Amino acid sequence: MNLKIKFLKFKRDLNRWSLLLLLILGIVTIPILTIGLKLFDGPGESWTHIVDYLLYDYLENSILLAVFCSFIVIVFGVSTAWLVSRFDFPMRKQLEWLLILPLSVPAYIMAYAYAGVFGYSGLLQNLTEKLGFDNFSIDIMNIYGLSFVLSMSLFPYVYVSSRTFFLAQATNLLEASRMLGISEFKSFFKLIFPLARPAIVAGLVLVLMEVLNDYGAASYYGVNTFTTGIFRSWFSLGEPETAIYLSAILLMIVFGLILLEKWQRRHLSFSSPKSSKKNYNSRIKPRKKNQILFSIFCSIPVLLGFIIPVIQLLIWTKQTFSRVWNIEFISITLESFVIAFITSCVTVIFALLLLFFSRWNKIDLLKTSSKLGILGYAIPGVIIAIGVLIPSLTLDKWLIEHKITSKLILNATLIALIYGYVVRFLAVAYQPLESSSLKIDRSLSDSSKVLGEGNFKTFFRIEFPLIRTGLLSAFILVFIDILKELPLTLIMKPYNVNTLAVKAFEYASDEMVSSAALPSLLIILTALIPAIFLNKLLLKNASDS
Amino acid sequence: MQATLNIENLSKSFDQGKVKALDGVSFYVNKGDICAVVGESGSGKTTLIRLIAGLEELDEGEIHIEDKLVASIKKNIAPEKRDVGMVFQEYALFPHLSVLENVTYGIKKSKSKKEVALATLNLVGLEGYEKRYPHELSGGQQQRVALARALAPNPSVLILDEPFSNLDAMMRHKLRNDVFNIIKKTGVTAIFVTHDTQDALAVADEILILQNGRLVQKDEASALYKKPQSIYVASLFGNTIQLNKGLQTAFKCPLKEDCCHAIRNENITVNEDCDYVSEAEVLKRTFLGTHSQLLLKLDNGEHITVVTNEPVLGNTLKIGFNSKDVLAFEE
Repeated sequence: MNLKIKFLKFKRDLNRWSLLLLLILGIVTIPILTIGLKLFDGPGESWTHIVDYLLYDYLENSILLAVFCSFIVIVFGVSTAWLVSRFDFPMRKQLEWLLILPLSVPAYIMAYAYAGVFGYSGLLQNLTEKLGFDNFSIDIMNIYGLSFVLSMSLFPYVYVSSRTFFLAQATNLLEASRMLGISEFKSFFKLIFPLARPAIVAGLVLVLMEVLNDYGAASYYGVNTFTTGIFRSWFSLGEPETAIYLSAILLMIVFGLILLEKWQRRHLSFSSPKSSKKNYNSRIKPRKKNQILFSIFCSIPVLLGFIIPVIQLLIWTKQTFSRVWNIEFISITLESFVIAFITSCVTVIFALLLLFFSRWNKIDLLKTSSKLGILGYAIPGVIIAIGVLIPSLTLDKWLIEHKITSKLILNATLIALIYGYVVRFLAVAYQPLESSSLKIDRSLSDSSKVLGEGNFKTFFRIEFPLIRTGLLSAFILVFIDILKELPLTLIMKPYNVNTLAVKAFEYASDEMVSSAALPSLLIILTALIPAIFLNKLLLKNASDS
Repeated sequence: MQATLNIENLSKSFDQGKVKALDGVSFYVNKGDICAVVGESGSGKTTLIRLIAGLEELDEGEIHIEDKLVASIKKNIAPEKRDVGMVFQEYALFPHLSVLENVTYGIKKSKSKKEVALATLNLVGLEGYEKRYPHELSGGQQQRVALARALAPNPSVLILDEPFSNLDAMMRHKLRNDVFNIIKKTGVTAIFVTHDTQDALAVADEILILQNGRLVQKDEASALYKKPQSIYVASLFGNTIQLNKGLQTAFKCPLKEDCCHAIRNENITVNEDCDYVSEAEVLKRTFLGTHSQLLLKLDNGEHITVVTNEPVLGNTLKIGFNSKDVLAFEE
């Protein structure tokens, strides 16, 4: 096709939705572009020092964390998912959803709780004393302990993705394998595990992104990672340039992970037995001894990832309730919920705009690029915070210099904080909206258009009423994520505003970790809603398939 | 007669030009006519009607509706402004709206909206169903609502995408006649896509055959059947046997070499009083209710399948066909 025809087609297809889509994409990609552009300014004074003495440490710790966590989450996530999908044993039904609950415990809260469990006169010491061992303690404030708490909080990502795969798995493959003389367990390793690889890796990539994003747990356990390094460079050394350089390296690692995940999924359609309609309709009932073993094995991650930390938090809450529960705490709780509510609304609206502007736009290149808008979830909160702070500071300076305003109107305000959250959590809202809108037959909106209604009216009259469940899931998921978020909030929150996550972090940092229990429990209780919701969704999808 | 729909040199590709769905298609449909678009899966039928409706953008060519240019390389009028009605394959009834709300959806005149909708529901034989929801209707009733909804705004062109593919054979036959009687009554110009040639033969004024995105023939039903312009078109409308060299030798029928010849299965008879005759050995008899199917081995070893209503006795017989029934196409 020659250039003139291409140009004519481009001119014909360019509509107002294309321009609005560009605007939305521009708004949500500013932080990433800022990091990219700022790299050209060169690093700060301490960069050489960091490269010589700390970078190796950051890199080594981050890689070790990734390796340890990957191992633990695969062991717990995949094996429990396989057991509950394939076998019948006591408590299986309860364990199926209990295994999702650790998702409601943010890693930093898990870290505080375990510091208490293993610490002086903690749960473990009390227990061992009763058993006759005096002063028994395990130091978990190191990289191994950090790997453990991160894994216990994050393994459900792998559990959920593997279980979704196993529930939709075809029995005929397994039956064929068994008929060829391969035992159930050998079949798992020879057949099911390789087939499930794309699903497992998809969950694992989410875990690794969260590991790289973590600040609260790593800083509390004193482990130097990229994220803690970025914080230190910005706040202790006062060198945003160095923080940006570290962010760029971290971004490259994250993009590497995304590419790796995309690469390993390239043959997904060949490896997933989607065509077979026969699902697990009857689970195998193993021998009595094995049934008990399976129940115990599946209970371990629930115990470690939810019950023990929650018990620790409850004990602390009982001890500190009268001190922590005051007007300030109530106002922080309210502030947290109001901020999460407003931001969730804004994020859901942005996600809707991104989804539908992209659909109404007719230029293919822009349609493909619209996915850039949801990249924020893969980018650690600390990087987004820096990417928002720099342009907002620059704009504020410009406004003051030109005497348009006399004080900062963006930097360290709720506007900048909400903007940061929107960039970070747009994907969380986008995905349920996209999947629920994809469930609507395309011919419904086509039909409305042929009947004379434009895009906007078609949206309000047809699509909006049909994606209400998607809207609700999007809202709840973003709400909870915002309530749990720590690094971005720590950097960007206005001085006079506080959230439950930040308050918990402040208590823990000020050697008052037991006081962090009440805000932590409130976060967990709120986060339990989507965990249960997610399980229902998973079962519904499995029965649909 | 004035053409309501005029398509000129229409082309459309997908996947960045790698898949050519339509290639230089030109035709017109006269006012009030029913035109069927027939072709195998992937022949470009659906792409063609989506382009006419404005649901896709063309790569080349022009589309005119009532002499108005609605799509070209420079212009693309939105579907809502094209004055086209469409009945979708799965009906696409809005699940959260009642039958009446579905039918009034596209009617612009605010005063007489309800009256027009009720009259259209009456036309399709669904009076009394206004308050029901789509899921409370049978497949045939949903089809009628979809038709009423498309007709209610009084479009210039009505498009029907595989309108009967979701119905069972009995229902299909009855509904097909009803639907096209209604369409004829309204006088709307209609274009409908089908892969079932029986539908096309039964109701279309003109049939348009697509093959690999190209228009291979457009004619009236009887002309298409009697004078197909290619073996592809011939085989779409009934079992056709290509008369290759072996069959020509067996039947002793020397035919022109620069042409491709074929004979319809039903024109081969168990009869020796034909222009071309061959001895055949019966290899297999299959009883199919109204007729039998015979797998035969000819003198020279060629195999052929014929159908017959006559009882066939013995293991050998004579079969033949007449020269007037031979179809000839240019290579």
